[in-house]
Amino acid sequence: MRRNTWIFISIIIVFILAVLVVFPFDEGILGKKGTQLGLDLAGGVSLVYKAEFPEGTTAEERAQGIDRALEVIRTRIDRYGVTEPTIQKVEIGGEECISVKLPGFTDIEEAKKLVKQTGFLEFRMVELDDEGNPVYLSSYLELEEPAFFDENESGTRIFAEEGYNQGIPAAILVKDEEGNLSYVDIDGAPVDVEELKQIPGKLRSWIPARGEDGTVLTGAFLSEANANLNQSSGQMTIGIVWTEEGGNLFNEVAAKIYYSGPYDSPQRCLGIFLDKELLSAPQILYPEYAEGRGEITGNFTAQEAIRLANLLESGSLPMPLSDEPLYEDLVSAARGNISVDMGLKAGLIGAILVVLFMIVYYRIPGLLASLALVFYGVVVLALFKLIPVTLTLAGIGGFVLSLGMAVDANVLIFERMKEEIRTGRTLGAAVEAGFSRAWTAIRDSNVTTFIVCIILYWVGASIVAGEPVMGFALTLFIGVAVSMFTAIVVTRTLLRMFVGTRLGRRTELFTPYSGRKNV
Amino acid sequence: MFDIVGKRVWFFCLSGLVILACVIFLLVFGLKLGIEFSSGLEVRVNFEEDVDSGQLVETLANLGYEGAIVQTILTEEGAEDGFLIRTQELSEEEQQHLLDGLVSTFGSLKEEPEFRLVSSEVSTGTARVAGIAVAVATVGILLYITWAFRRMPSPFRYGTCAIVALVHDVVVVLGIFSLLGGIMNWEVNLMFITGILAVIGYSVNNTVVVFDRVRENLRQGISADFEVVVNTSLVETLGRSLNTSLTTLVVVIALVLFVGASIQNFAIVLLIGVISGTYSSLFVAPLLLVVWEKGGWFSFIRWPSLTTGGARRG
Repeated sequence: MRRNTWIFISIIIVFILAVLVVFPFDEGILGKKGTQLGLDLAGGVSLVYKAEFPEGTTAEERAQGIDRALEVIRTRIDRYGVTEPTIQKVEIGGEECISVKLPGFTDIEEAKKLVKQTGFLEFRMVELDDEGNPVYLSSYLELEEPAFFDENESGTRIFAEEGYNQGIPAAILVKDEEGNLSYVDIDGAPVDVEELKQIPGKLRSWIPARGEDGTVLTGAFLSEANANLNQSSGQMTIGIVWTEEGGNLFNEVAAKIYYSGPYDSPQRCLGIFLDKELLSAPQILYPEYAEGRGEITGNFTAQEAIRLANLLESGSLPMPLSDEPLYEDLVSAARGNISVDMGLKAGLIGAILVVLFMIVYYRIPGLLASLALVFYGVVVLALFKLIPVTLTLAGIGGFVLSLGMAVDANVLIFERMKEEIRTGRTLGAAVEAGFSRAWTAIRDSNVTTFIVCIILYWVGASIVAGEPVMGFALTLFIGVAVSMFTAIVVTRTLLRMFVGTRLGRRTELFTPYSGRKNV
Repeated sequence: MFDIVGKRVWFFCLSGLVILACVIFLLVFGLKLGIEFSSGLEVRVNFEEDVDSGQLVETLANLGYEGAIVQTILTEEGAEDGFLIRTQELSEEEQQHLLDGLVSTFGSLKEEPEFRLVSSEVSTGTARVAGIAVAVATVGILLYITWAFRRMPSPFRYGTCAIVALVHDVVVVLGIFSLLGGIMNWEVNLMFITGILAVIGYSVNNTVVVFDRVRENLRQGISADFEVVVNTSLVETLGRSLNTSLTTLVVVIALVLFVGASIQNFAIVLLIGVISGTYSSLFVAPLLLVVWEKGGWFSFIRWPSLTTGGARRG
């Protein structure tokens, strides 16, 4: 009996600790946060994009690319201040995809921009012909057979101008594998040469800005980017700081541009391109810039400047993502709260009905099993918070279901006890026999539930938007595991305490039906 | 003592009739797949003004979305609380076009619209995973039960009979759901599959309780006649099987009544599954075990006379 008392005290202590963890429900305790709600309850955005690697990318490069992309997207989102985002790789039909979940964030357009913008920043300079004069789109269109003016530069030519079509290039001249030149638009679709001839004004031909050793100056050489308001002009600007290598490279490029022509000439400009769009083309004022600092000016709103700085600092995605998401889900936050309330209501009503049934049908043992059920509920909720389990509506469903299944083990035990009393055992012996004999059935029947939970967890983990399935699997698993403990250890401890008392001699309180028969 | 095993023909007949009805429902109505499995776009809109669903369908058709399915969402009091519009996959521009078209016809929205887009790549993957999951769960349970009853003669029979009971439950759930799909447009979604798997796990629970008692009674040698052993075990465990089902049923009904929403399908699957699971684990799995033991597969017609004899001997 003494050992039983110690177990009883331990149970009480665990119960008190669990209550302290669970309440208050939406606040943290012991350095932990409040109960985490899934997308379906908190509202939010879920997006999945396919990573579009170029042909022939090796598996290793793919893996590295995805890792880098996840990191880049995470940095962007963190800087945006979304709490508890989930950014992970998922595989769909053998193709790598990136899944992003932003709880509590319901601006889907902004979310798409945050994730998708490739953010490939490159710097370009104006192409010069043999005499050192700037080359324009019109110069190219006059040629019978298209050929690059600057034969040393084999990179693409972008024809764009700050004032023209918001910096979107009219055309990009690309060289294919066979060495043929063709005009395409920003999405890679072919452009009609006759249409290009109709464009008024002169569009400069921009070629990659290279240092002495041929390295192209890109956003990869940036170490910092911050949006600032220029007090004198009232314009938003983006202050940038180069890495050490980038600073040297930039100075080499600046010197090339500086000496290419006089002040205010078309070729004295550095073209800043983001995803092939011309952001701005500032004049290069000095052949050398100290401390590796610079500034990007352009017609930005404050929000655009902040997003751009964010994009520049987080870096560019190593590969483009599919134009349209493979999966998108937008849940408004308003409905979530109602669902949580309904779930709790269902759980409470279900639990009360189960308790009533147990007490009416099994009397004293039923009452003790109900106490064990209360213990069970509190411990499971505490575990949800400690692990922590992200709560979804399906997860709440799993929890409510487990309330009904939690007493199953007790039903098996109590029925067994009744049988044992019927065969003439004393109450104490019947309690012990009831627990030990019912064990194999309890174990074997719960294992099948565990098998299903594990499979469901796998399902949830391997599909897009499997969060609810995983939530259900996890809550049901925890529920059944804890219920095996509470139904056996807690109920047995409580029953053993009763057996020794005066109430324990009144067998009819334990087995109402068979008790009457035997008397 | 009740003679349940002796009346097995009646129980098999009842099961057979229900299964037949379910198969007919499946053939007639089929299953309506949710967008998780068939891909497409789902938009949830709620207009400031009251809108008639017929008009909405008409407007959608005028906008060029002929096949769009419109489902009215009701509040608890039964008033209109927005619509769920389902179309094929749409690009971002098309989504905007659809929304702009609706707003220009019916006025502004009460709350932000909700979008859910599932591409065919995603839905194919989901369907494949769901299929694998059901198959793996079935095989896993078969192996586990065979293992758990490994000390019994022919343990594989226990596993197989439990699986037959389980398939029985899955067919019943699918059948009733196809009926609900035909009448009320209910869809087979991801939560439906989750529910099916939960039913698979739960249905076997009760079967194991009966089998466990058969195992114990065989060990104690209460009778040389297998039929009597199974019948005794069944009757002895009847109360607890019904009670465990009852407690589960109570919480499932609470789920159906109070939560609904996105887990409505799931709750209904559980409700049907728990009822069918209780029946099959009491009146299908153990009775099949007897039929298999007696080797009467081909003399099904002659059973009634055989079994009454068996029961009298016991």
